[in-house]
Amino acid sequence: MRGRWFGGVALGLAAHLDLPVGLVRLAFIVLTPVAAVGPVLYVFWWLAIPAGDPAAAARDVRPSALTRLARRQNVIEPGRRIPVTDIAIGAVLVIAAVLLVAVRAGADVEADWLLPALIVLSGLWLAWSQLDAAQRDRLRDRAGGRTPVSVLRVAGGILLAGVGVLLFIGLGSGEGVEPATLAQSIIAAVVMLGGVALVLTPWWLRLVRELGDERAARARESERADIAAHLHDSVLQTLALIRLRADDSAEVARMARAQERELREWLYDDRPAPGTSVAASLREIVAEVEDSRSGPSGDPVAVEAVVVGDRVPDVDTEALLQATREALVNAVVHGLPPVSLYLEVGASQVEVFVRDHGEGFDLEEVASDRFGVRESIIGRVRRRGGTATVTCKPGRGTEVHLLVPVSSGPDEGEER
Amino acid sequence: MSDVVDVVLVDDHHMFRTGVKASLDAGVRVVGEADTVDEAIRLVRSVQPPVVLLDVHLPGGDGGGGAEVIRACTDLLATTRFLALSVSDASDDVVAVIRAGARGYVTKNIDGPDLSDAVRRVASGDAVFSPRLAGFVLDAFGSSAGDVAIGDDELDRLSAREREVMRLIARGYSYREVASELFISIKTVETHVSAVLRKLQLSSRHELTRWAAARRLL
Repeated sequence: MRGRWFGGVALGLAAHLDLPVGLVRLAFIVLTPVAAVGPVLYVFWWLAIPAGDPAAAARDVRPSALTRLARRQNVIEPGRRIPVTDIAIGAVLVIAAVLLVAVRAGADVEADWLLPALIVLSGLWLAWSQLDAAQRDRLRDRAGGRTPVSVLRVAGGILLAGVGVLLFIGLGSGEGVEPATLAQSIIAAVVMLGGVALVLTPWWLRLVRELGDERAARARESERADIAAHLHDSVLQTLALIRLRADDSAEVARMARAQERELREWLYDDRPAPGTSVAASLREIVAEVEDSRSGPSGDPVAVEAVVVGDRVPDVDTEALLQATREALVNAVVHGLPPVSLYLEVGASQVEVFVRDHGEGFDLEEVASDRFGVRESIIGRVRRRGGTATVTCKPGRGTEVHLLVPVSSGPDEGEER
Repeated sequence: MSDVVDVVLVDDHHMFRTGVKASLDAGVRVVGEADTVDEAIRLVRSVQPPVVLLDVHLPGGDGGGGAEVIRACTDLLATTRFLALSVSDASDDVVAVIRAGARGYVTKNIDGPDLSDAVRRVASGDAVFSPRLAGFVLDAFGSSAGDVAIGDDELDRLSAREREVMRLIARGYSYREVASELFISIKTVETHVSAVLRKLQLSSRHELTRWAAARRLL
């Protein structure tokens, strides 16, 4: 963001609260004498709130349907490459610290100069070596971003760490250990730890954040590659097949329907793991029946399937789905389109309706040796304590209603 | 139907627009076509047709697709009604456009007579629910029988009758078939469906909101 003074907290807060920046800054300054609330809040928000314009972020959030296949462009503002002034300030601070320590040490300035300088330098190197080359570049690329601030923070932290270390060594190598010296050492150690924490915490926070971002980006990338491969393998092949067999309209319709279903599944479904979703199993059954069976006239029949709720399959729903398949085959082969299928998963029962517009059949007239309806549909469901009814009304088609009681709640699948 | 219903057709695929125009019967006349969000908004505002057939996925504008077109024409909703037309079964697409103010939703594989019928129904102020939309409604409002609305003004739950109607529509029943199944008139079925549509648009029901929020609809 433009116009920031330190971390941009006041600016971000102003954008969030829709207040003038000056007012927020004034509030921070006014709060400073009150037990240092201002600075403490500032530092806390600095660490906790991600950088960026909240309004722009809200604009970026688009309906998931529209972002599904769209790659988002990362707009990087051009800006200063290296924050020369800030590095200079950091260097001046480091040198000042070194000089102060040297003055404190008194006469030994010349002799002890090398060691603190080495410590400070190695501290600097340590802080910078946490960033690999790519990340360093990215930090530099962020125009007006965190780079100067980072440098300042690193410098400040190392300054403190260095002071701590020097106090420790300088006093320890002196006369005997007195209580005052001990206290001073402890203070020095605390200061040192504070310095190290100050150096490491922001880096650590940022690393975690960036790791998350990168993971999400990688997941998106692999999803895209997945879809591209899928389009190539299936859609293009099917189109080629359709062109070859353009004269066979029934076959073309069937292929188009199968491909459409497959593509839909890829684009819109959450693709649950196999064996975790009754809805997914049902869709598989519908696909299989659509692909393998034809209506009385030889044309493929499309099944309009609607599913409400979902659960983890068990023996009961397995039996129900097998019965559903038989009913569906029956409706497709012997009934008239359109064929509708409705599955509702309730808390204590699962219901299926299979409906076609044919004349239907009378349950009582179905010969007991015709294993199809009697055994495969009704028997299966009844053995699970469920009910199966067939309703035929003239002019209104045939509907098979299957109901199986189930034990646990339907939300099991979501909590896995 | 004696009156011819004027329709503006909004879809970004020329081939699809041609197909729709060819399949509509004589009672529906296409008076304008648009293929982007901006063009659609401009056209709808200038023509103000009784019905707009609106694709859910549209290029242009702020990327909001069909829902954006409806939101830009909110002030016209009393006279111009939107019928969403989508190839997608994704629930988020459907619910987004319905909550924006569309009076109905049909999938693109609907045949000509059914589509013409749906247009006329929307033109006369009724709502059009496909089996799949009914399924979404039942999913979003919860399908357990104990959780029913008592009063008419309750937005967060379906009444027992509304649920019954939704279930029949989800099972593939036409309005006429629903009416005879429940021994009520078609007009009553239409009233129930309109009431459900209103709830779908206005409800702040916890699940619906959370559900929509999870899909970044709100």
